[in-house]
Amino acid sequence: MIYWEDVEIGTRRELGTYTFTEEEIVAFAKKYDPQPFHVDADAARRSIFGGIIASGWHTAAVWMKLSVADRQKPGNASPLLRAGVSPGYEDMRWLKPVRPGMRLSYSSEVVGKAALKSRRDVAIVLTRNEARDDAGELVFVFTGKGLVQRRPE
Amino acid sequence: MTGLLHFEDFTVGRIFDCGPYPVTKEEIVEFAGEFDPQPHHLDEEAAKTSLLGGLAASGWHTCAMTMRMFADTVVPLAAAQGGIGSPEGRWMKPVRPGDTLRAEAEVIAARPSAGKPFGYVTFACKVFNEREQVALILMTPIIGKRP
Repeated sequence: MIYWEDVEIGTRRELGTYTFTEEEIVAFAKKYDPQPFHVDADAARRSIFGGIIASGWHTAAVWMKLSVADRQKPGNASPLLRAGVSPGYEDMRWLKPVRPGMRLSYSSEVVGKAALKSRRDVAIVLTRNEARDDAGELVFVFTGKGLVQRRPE
Repeated sequence: MTGLLHFEDFTVGRIFDCGPYPVTKEEIVEFAGEFDPQPHHLDEEAAKTSLLGGLAASGWHTCAMTMRMFADTVVPLAAAQGGIGSPEGRWMKPVRPGDTLRAEAEVIAARPSAGKPFGYVTFACKVFNEREQVALILMTPIIGKRP
């Protein structure tokens, strides 16, 4: 069991890749983000994007999907495994449109740690999370905050 | 098309009421099964002993539900052309099955894009259930300046 005290800044995980299909992009957006350039191919062609693109929240949700899957890989004793609860995120940016057929490589790197004044049992680990396209260009980025259990005194 | 709001209409302090959004257990479990399969989002028994103290929606699901309320209310009024990010999101209270969410989307900043026919408008979406504020999600959509 790894506790917050054991987490090392600079630790980086490659979370794997995900290829977005038009069908999935449209299905997600119909439920949660039904703007024309996410759900309607004709309207999307006439938009500033020139075609269907994924909702930014879909890009974010896939980060979570790959992150949970990564924690369950054999040998990854992630401290996030037991808690897995977050107070929020910061600086989320959707830098490039995510189009059908695009494959994104997601990663997560520990960039900071912060104790809490309000409680002793958990503390915060800050992560920089990215998704890059096949050319290596940054498509999506945010700073995550995970609550991690502290070593019992 | 008439009646659209443009960049100049999004003055700081203007509030748009969004929602309601009824939250069901089925949807919480369905979203979590696809994107956030952790016990506290999937299983009532396991959730009881988690930090959330009971089954609750994934924070990303709360963001998505907020986006839906925002998309249904603000986007049709605006010549909106997509978002560039979310400067901050805070998950303050668990969102439970049976909650009915609503949101207040307040314009907190607006800046024109140099040399382009649109501007960036930042909204602070405060999300409430029947009892309290459960989330704060900042969003920065691009709002068209001209029809």
